[in-house]
Amino acid sequence: MTGYEKLEIKTFVIIQKLLIIVKTEAELPQIAKELIAEYPAARIFAFYGSLGAGKTTFIKAICNELGVRDIVQSPTFSIINEYKTEAGDSIYHFDFYRIRNITEVFDIGYEDYLYSGCYCFIEWPELIESLLPAGAVPVRISGTNERMIEF
Amino acid sequence: MQNLILGIESSCDDTSAAIIKDDVILSNVIAGQDVHRNFGGVVPELASRAHQQNIIPVIHAAIQKANIGKNQLSAVACTQGPGLLGSLLVGTSFAKAFSLGLNIPLIDVDHLQAHILSHFIRNADRTNPVPTFPFLCLTVSGGHTQFVLIRDYFDMEVIGQTIDDAAGEAFDKSAKIMGLPYPGGPVIDKLAKLGDPTRFTFSKPNIPGLDFSFSGLKTSILYFLRDELKANPDFIENNKNDLCASIQATIVDMLISKLAMALEVTKGLHPRGNLPDVAIAGGVSANSGLRKALEDARDNFGWNIFIPPIQYSTDNAAMIAIAGYFKFLKGDFGSQSATPYARAGNRST
Repeated sequence: MTGYEKLEIKTFVIIQKLLIIVKTEAELPQIAKELIAEYPAARIFAFYGSLGAGKTTFIKAICNELGVRDIVQSPTFSIINEYKTEAGDSIYHFDFYRIRNITEVFDIGYEDYLYSGCYCFIEWPELIESLLPAGAVPVRISGTNERMIEF
Repeated sequence: MQNLILGIESSCDDTSAAIIKDDVILSNVIAGQDVHRNFGGVVPELASRAHQQNIIPVIHAAIQKANIGKNQLSAVACTQGPGLLGSLLVGTSFAKAFSLGLNIPLIDVDHLQAHILSHFIRNADRTNPVPTFPFLCLTVSGGHTQFVLIRDYFDMEVIGQTIDDAAGEAFDKSAKIMGLPYPGGPVIDKLAKLGDPTRFTFSKPNIPGLDFSFSGLKTSILYFLRDELKANPDFIENNKNDLCASIQATIVDMLISKLAMALEVTKGLHPRGNLPDVAIAGGVSANSGLRKALEDARDNFGWNIFIPPIQYSTDNAAMIAIAGYFKFLKGDFGSQSATPYARAGNRST
């Protein structure tokens, strides 16, 4: 029997349009503006990045751009934070870090939030990938001292 | 006249019910193996469905352990928020139905106020001291880190809070970075006892006023370990106790130094010109490093400190029951049309 290697060929589609190098936190408000402007119709944004990458920090900048004056805190414990913009719209900030089982997400009633038409910013979306609505915009944050943000 | 009040807590992970007779707790049941074994119901998990399955067994257990009948109840108090809406709805819907069914008043309780009011729970002979108004409370848990100035039972003002992560989250995520299990706070506490807290230093943020930031600490630990692991892949394993002790000391120091600042700011509010009493509340109040630091401050600086018993520090219904009792005395009742609120300050009635 002749051995052969079975090669799996995967096709990669580049969906990211922008790759931004961030040197300091002070640049985040401008990048937040660009993200919102780049996807004017999108309401669901999924933030990928390891622990300490700066997901909450970037979401804080985006919420501020959208007119949130509440303090944007990490929802790791609460799972979902709701903020109000100055215009009175709701924004939902999710963190699925603590989720152990996808049924927990059903039990929370995730559809009520994700299909509400309100802005939804999701940390640790990897854990609920199958439930992300079509059209959710992936935002990837990587790097350590200098960060790269792709969307 | 003795008032018997049922307290219900379902704001996040655990379903809990308690019976209070005036300000003395008769029973405080949290859904867990105990309830599962004796009364049915499921092991708690993060889900409103779990709350639905647990709420009746837990309330049944609380009433039974208090050795009373439900017809003796004077009122039912329930967490209205902040918390996970689906979970809150289970508790508030039950409380509304229960209040209608028994024709007793319904009382809405704020979860964060209840954490603070747990300091007014008396032991059976009512000999334990309670804080004197006005006092300062540091509420510190996995989800919250805030300073509250308490002028009266329901006259409270948040005078400082975290602008990103909660202190409990800083413990849990530091543990995660080190490969310890979640929630890692108690694990860090345990290992810290065996380590040297001065061995490593981590940068502390410079946040003005009485606000906190714990997000940068996580990043600082991450970079430090990344660099050390390059030189020695076993760095974490070899230094685990010292790392835990140093991380715990850093977090505790951030809390205590801001607490000293908060006391300085609120000094002079006390009628006798003394420092206000200092209470802590929330799950992180179980941390031995924080308790030790507070005891040191008591011995060295004369702080009059109040540390809750462990069973009242994490989320529990006893604190809802005591808050309900004080509202009952005021005649401050809730309405059948009230809706839960997810975030502090987003109240609607």
